[in-house]
Amino acid sequence: MLNKKAQLSETMTWIVATLIIIVVLIVFIFISSSFAKVKSLTTKSLKISSEGEDVDLFKTKTELAYRLSSEENKKIIDEWRKQNA
Amino acid sequence: MTDKIISVYWFAILIIVAGGIIAMVSLFYNSPYDVREVEAGILTNKIGDCFSDVGYLRQEVFDNANFLINEDNFLEKCDLNFNSTENELQYFSQVNVFRGSDLGNSFFEVVQGNKNLKADCSISKDYGKISKCFEKSFFTLDKSGNLYLIKILSVIDKSEKNVK
Repeated sequence: MLNKKAQLSETMTWIVATLIIIVVLIVFIFISSSFAKVKSLTTKSLKISSEGEDVDLFKTKTELAYRLSSEENKKIIDEWRKQNA
Repeated sequence: MTDKIISVYWFAILIIVAGGIIAMVSLFYNSPYDVREVEAGILTNKIGDCFSDVGYLRQEVFDNANFLINEDNFLEKCDLNFNSTENELQYFSQVNVFRGSDLGNSFFEVVQGNKNLKADCSISKDYGKISKCFEKSFFTLDKSGNLYLIKILSVIDKSEKNVK
């Protein structure tokens, strides 16, 4: 009788262990499939980092034009920047 | 007898775990990287550099108050190649130039590529299979000091290669 009880508890341990292994595997498969869905490169990676700050090539172009502009043109650029901030 | 059952059990577990790992790796590596947004950004940067350099409109595209660029020579002037392995054109680019303070009316426009792709820009970004759009604007000057706003829109389709 005691031997049968020991055998039953040992079998139960294996069954529970198998279930845990299968559940863990399913969770990992689900995680890897959700990671696979978001495999995309965004435009943030196009920005050049300079001293901890991101440099936008188009902002640089506008800044150059701003510095070379007359006062009248500077006002136009300032207004445009405010609208697009 | 019990030892034999346990060894069969271990073998089964080994197969299950190995199968799980193979499934995880193949799921992750079988889906392609979606690089269209970056590609559209690079295309926009390239067109921006084609039109303006160090704050001024480039002589190759603008001379004597006229733009020398048009639909026929746009790709050649900007050193671009819109060819792809797919049957349909996968790229679209639109450049609008606004002069001075009149930022509402386009002074000059040049369009190149598959015009049907532009409609995708108005659809939500959440739909993976639609084309990726990238729009940027910047100011530049001509040699006389006149101010121009250049608005560049680039659209890349290539959904077959970038989205599963």
